[in-house]
Amino acid sequence: MAGNRKNSWKLYPAWGYEKELEDLDRASEQGWQLVRGGCFHSSFVKNPNLRYRYQMDFGRIDDMGRYIETFREQGWEYVNSTFNKWHYFRKLYDPALPEEDYEIFTDRESLREMRGRWGRLALAIAVVLAGFAIYYGVQLVQTFQLPLLIQTLVFALESGLLVWGWTIMRNPDRDRSRRYGSAFLTAILAVIVLGAAAGIAFSTLRPHFQAHQSAGSLDEPMVDSRWAGFEIKYRDNYFLDLDFASDAPMTFSVLNEAGQTVYAKTGTGFREENIRLQLPAGQYCLSISCETGYRINCIIQ
Amino acid sequence: MKRSEPLSESYYYILLCLAKGANHGYGIMQMTQRLSGGDVIIGSGTMYGAVSNMMKKGWIQEILVENPGQERRRLYQLTDDGLAALETEIARLRRMLANAEEV
Repeated sequence: MAGNRKNSWKLYPAWGYEKELEDLDRASEQGWQLVRGGCFHSSFVKNPNLRYRYQMDFGRIDDMGRYIETFREQGWEYVNSTFNKWHYFRKLYDPALPEEDYEIFTDRESLREMRGRWGRLALAIAVVLAGFAIYYGVQLVQTFQLPLLIQTLVFALESGLLVWGWTIMRNPDRDRSRRYGSAFLTAILAVIVLGAAAGIAFSTLRPHFQAHQSAGSLDEPMVDSRWAGFEIKYRDNYFLDLDFASDAPMTFSVLNEAGQTVYAKTGTGFREENIRLQLPAGQYCLSISCETGYRINCIIQ
Repeated sequence: MKRSEPLSESYYYILLCLAKGANHGYGIMQMTQRLSGGDVIIGSGTMYGAVSNMMKKGWIQEILVENPGQERRRLYQLTDDGLAALETEIARLRRMLANAEEV
């Protein structure tokens, strides 16, 4: 029957699970009964004749049979568990029963323990993410590159978000009016996803360019022989690995569209890695002038 | 004897309810409510966590009882270590009470 099922794509952070429970209780009051809960996606069926109250638990469960039975004994029906170890329960609502009957954590210790389980996990992940942010940040300080900046910011934001969640979860007595809405979280996640996508896009825009010429003897002198044109898509730092040797002095240069030299090296040999070139977007080519035999290998990335 | 951490109210009542014999989760919950005059309630999440932790400590063990024609029942039973932990806690509570009376 159409219209008796509904999906919700509302996003809830772990530290907003109390808000999620309130929303589930309200949905049940309006006749929408949860059949599958999740932090990104929940599904409901319409049944206006029932009213449930919901609870959530977090953690790895050693004995699922004993777990479900412990809840069932007190009238809790197991709904489902998410991939990330959140467990949903519901209990038929009876207005005659006291409010304590709809709690599953009835002392401070066990509530702190559950929230602490999530908090420790979040903190561990935040430390790893902060490690990535520092790794990219150090590289960023050494040479400014747009993808590095984006990666640093995205990892720092993700890590910060989890640390923030941890501070909320470790304190169950925190003023609950200071909760932050799902819209705010969605915006932050959108920034993270867009940032990550932009980082990937910018990295693929970087030219993965390699030009190579082998040794050979030239009878005729070579003057400004242009080869290996390439395109730079956006202004950034690019790195040149250059290795050349010749019998007579030779000039290796990188020219821009206007034919201006942006990098040049003259000599009978040169070997260097990671020569940093700050290049604006545009077309470039390599140029060689040499009197006799040469061997050259260069990579720009 | 090594000084042990005080038990939480939930842990204490669970052990106390098992002192006279094996019981199931719901039985422990009801008995706790009755003993405490309705002051102490042990919800399902608290119960599962406390029982799991005490099973890991070796204070409680699980026994499955087959009743012909009925559903298999899961009962919890106090171990010797569990009884010792309860007795230590009771001694601690007695001492605290005695101290209160002295002052």
